Amino acid sequence: MRFFAGHGVTLLQAQRWAGTLTAVFAFLACAVSGELGLPLVALFFVALLGAWFARGRLYGRGDWMWTAVLAAVMLLFAAQVFVGQLDIVVAAARFAELLLIHRLWHRGTQRDELLLLLLSLLALCAGASLAAELTFGLAFLGYAVAGTWALALTHLRFEIEAGRGPQGSAALLNSRRIATPALLAGLAALATLGLAGSAVVFFTFPRLTLRALHRPGRPSAVAGLSDHVDLARQGEIADDPRVVLRVQLDPAPRGDPSSLGFHWRAHALSRWTGQGWRAEETGMMPARTLPRRPKSGGHPATLSAEVETVGGFDDGIVLTPDGWPLSVQFRRPLSAHPVTPRLYRNAAGDLFYQPADAGDVRYVVTVDTAEPGLADLRGRGQQYPRWLAADLEVPGNLNPRVVALAKRLGAGKDPVDAALAVERWLTMALTYTRELPGEVADPISDFLFRRRAGHCELFSSAMVLMLRSLGIPARNVTGYYGGQRTDAGYYAVRAGDAHSWVEVWFPDAGYVSFDPTPPALRGGVKNTAWARMVLLWDALQQRWRVFVVDYNLVAQAQAMQRVVELISEAGHRLAGKGGSADRLRVLLAGLGVALLAGALALWARQVRSGGRPQKSQGPALDREQRRAFRLWRRGRATLRAAGVELAPSTTPWEAARRTQLPAVVALVSAYNAARWGGSPLSRAQVRGLLRDLKTSLRS
Amino acid sequence: MIPAWKRRLSFTRLGRWYVGLTVGIGLAAVNTGNNLLFLVLGLLLASVVVSGILSEQSLRAVEVQRRLPSTATVGQPALIGLLARNGKPRVPSFSLELRERGGEVAGSGFLVILPPRQAAEVAYRFVPKRRGLHRFEQLEVATRAPFGLFEKSRPLEAPAELVVFPRQVDAAPLAARALAREGERPLDRAGLGLEVHSLRDHRAGEDARTIHWRSSARAGRLIGVDREQEKRRRVCVVLDQRGLSGEILERRVEQAAALVTRELDAGAEVALAVAGQRLAAGSGDAHLRKALTLLALLQAATVPLPPPQPDGESAVLEVRG
Repeated sequence: MRFFAGHGVTLLQAQRWAGTLTAVFAFLACAVSGELGLPLVALFFVALLGAWFARGRLYGRGDWMWTAVLAAVMLLFAAQVFVGQLDIVVAAARFAELLLIHRLWHRGTQRDELLLLLLSLLALCAGASLAAELTFGLAFLGYAVAGTWALALTHLRFEIEAGRGPQGSAALLNSRRIATPALLAGLAALATLGLAGSAVVFFTFPRLTLRALHRPGRPSAVAGLSDHVDLARQGEIADDPRVVLRVQLDPAPRGDPSSLGFHWRAHALSRWTGQGWRAEETGMMPARTLPRRPKSGGHPATLSAEVETVGGFDDGIVLTPDGWPLSVQFRRPLSAHPVTPRLYRNAAGDLFYQPADAGDVRYVVTVDTAEPGLADLRGRGQQYPRWLAADLEVPGNLNPRVVALAKRLGAGKDPVDAALAVERWLTMALTYTRELPGEVADPISDFLFRRRAGHCELFSSAMVLMLRSLGIPARNVTGYYGGQRTDAGYYAVRAGDAHSWVEVWFPDAGYVSFDPTPPALRGGVKNTAWARMVLLWDALQQRWRVFVVDYNLVAQAQAMQRVVELISEAGHRLAGKGGSADRLRVLLAGLGVALLAGALALWARQVRSGGRPQKSQGPALDREQRRAFRLWRRGRATLRAAGVELAPSTTPWEAARRTQLPAVVALVSAYNAARWGGSPLSRAQVRGLLRDLKTSLRS
Repeated sequence: MIPAWKRRLSFTRLGRWYVGLTVGIGLAAVNTGNNLLFLVLGLLLASVVVSGILSEQSLRAVEVQRRLPSTATVGQPALIGLLARNGKPRVPSFSLELRERGGEVAGSGFLVILPPRQAAEVAYRFVPKRRGLHRFEQLEVATRAPFGLFEKSRPLEAPAELVVFPRQVDAAPLAARALAREGERPLDRAGLGLEVHSLRDHRAGEDARTIHWRSSARAGRLIGVDREQEKRRRVCVVLDQRGLSGEILERRVEQAAALVTRELDAGAEVALAVAGQRLAAGSGDAHLRKALTLLALLQAATVPLPPPQPDGESAVLEVRG
């Protein structure tokens, strides 16, 4: 980078680079939405490189070809929009990007450069319509800086060309002394100022709508939400720190812990496939109300979790924290075509929403956290309804050693005690690992008797099969475990927190959760630097969403109300109703006096200079020189008062020659010696010289 | 007196586009409630404000002085200097256009940067189309910095006058009312001329340069020479402008100027007589300027004027059509 090598760049180079950078940032602002498509993204960067290397050599060539291609593409997009294959905003954004590419290849005149900046602005606006993520914000920041450079340098370049003509301007345009790092830094500071102003305008510009609209983000599949589990495919489970849920709890957990010990339930998987699990294929039905909990005997305690899905879920699952779900309320999505999701439920009790591609989905799940106590679950017998058959199904090829182990642990015991015994044995006897190389035919036997180590799905699967072999209905459940607190005040559940556990059915109590995976190893996102960075990024994204994307009339009203409150509070304090009123009053009075004095000084300066700027005073005078200067001014005033005519241009020596008075000569000598000769001049000397002068004039 | 705070503001073409786009994006933002469009709108509006502040910074404390050429002649380019001084202690001024405003002369100069506490001069070419007095009224310092969206300008009082001399033409052969002898005219008495007045014996102590060497060689003794006192040739250019106007007057004035110039260049003392005015005979650059100024300011007679009064001792050169 020549900028940093100390050689600088020419104004022409800097202007072209700034224009290119502006186009790149505008393109990125659009591209981060993912709506442009990979071919167009690749084409842009190829065209960018081509334009850079061609450096205007192809300027003006093949214009007819460009026009034909652009016209054809426009017709194609129009047709796609017409038949409903393409959104009109996406079509406009893609076409704007093509125009941007075209302009990058055609840069020569002022019109070309300004068109490039104009198209960049349009691309930025398209990005604002297509993307709502923090990445847009970063591209916007880059655009603000590069755009400021580009606009200022383009203006400067063409001002020089217009002012000096093509030949006269060549030297300046190729000079490395104009686009210096200092100038670019100054312009960047200017951009920062512009961004600050932008923030002020953004937060104060009156909002007329209750909703801040934006296009929904693209849903993406997230680990942990599959409706099947395959235990035969083994290997190393990668740590995935991507945030998939943002959760805020009400009431907040006690002690504000840094991590939550919550299960976030997604699917119940009842059908054993021989190699894993799959969900029962039952239909979904609208769930206006959720089933009531059987009487648990405990005191009901509710917990509300406001859940925000990140990146979307392609199968529209509602995740619920530990407890019995009482209600699910969806937040109305903030999109251009808002569709409030509807809640559905299947026979296994899993909750879903439709439409699944509604984009950013937020909902509040309220659960009853009062789980029945273990004592309450004892003695309820083993008479199970027929619909639980799937949860009692023992695979025919289940290794007899598994059955034998289950009987050893739980035979003859109450189902709850048997479940506790199996859970405890698995937790204590086996170890947790994510590294399971190779494929095995019987993953459960391999886990229990050979490797004696496995991940959460093996723990939960083994427990379910062992309980079923004892005639206790159980099923495998998938979801997430945990939640890491972020600086933004919410708990982040990450893809690597995917987890599997067990639900056991008890008469008159329903399903109760058991988790045989060692507690310290559930979930599993390691607290690496990368994981922390991902969390930090997510916290930034969440703040971006809250403070920028979702800022609306209500938020603006609240912000203004807060400002009014602050002013009112200050007023109260000034009126003596606050604790530190006197100090504040003194402070404000002092501030007011300082401001007034400053304004008066400025005004006086303006008056003295007659509205003209002060002339340069040259180097500052030292104390002796200032004293000499005052001595001459006072001496001159005294002479004038005595009737000696002295023009403003009369020099001190001229005055001395004209008056022929020794006192004047002495004063002028002292003045010259101190003012120009570096001689000292004390206050006493000044007083003495002035006194002698007055005496001499009187006599 | 123009107050120091007075400014003129106008849109550039780019500025009009910019404002139009800003309004469009603002409408789109309000209509859709898309906050990111509000963000873009904020940036555009803030840039306008920043642009206004910076352009004001560029203009503030900039003083401009006009530097007129010592002579200007119709049809010949003259350079008029514009000296700008940035009185700000720390902040440079960018992209300054210095230009004439309100007077009879139009011209401008451009400064890319004017560092703090420094001065710089630019000049523009001025090719006068007519002779006479040209009045300058105001100077204007304008900037489109930093983005070229708006042009902000600050008018400055700078009244000045420039007398443009008549066009330089070749002096036509003119009819002389009384022709004088060419060159210097001897006065028939001893003096400091070049012509020999008389020869005599060289006196001791006399300057050796007075020795006439050829006569001394011939006579065998030192012979001194007295030279004649000479008087410069005097001409009076006469132009009767009564009844003349328009192109005819212009041609006559140009001819008169050409004669004055030619005669002065030839070493003569030149007087100038026009109807109602007379310039006494003189020589040198200052006299030439006086004569050309008189001719530059000569107007068609609108009131009865006495005829030109030529100098009695001078040869009269009368300008005729």
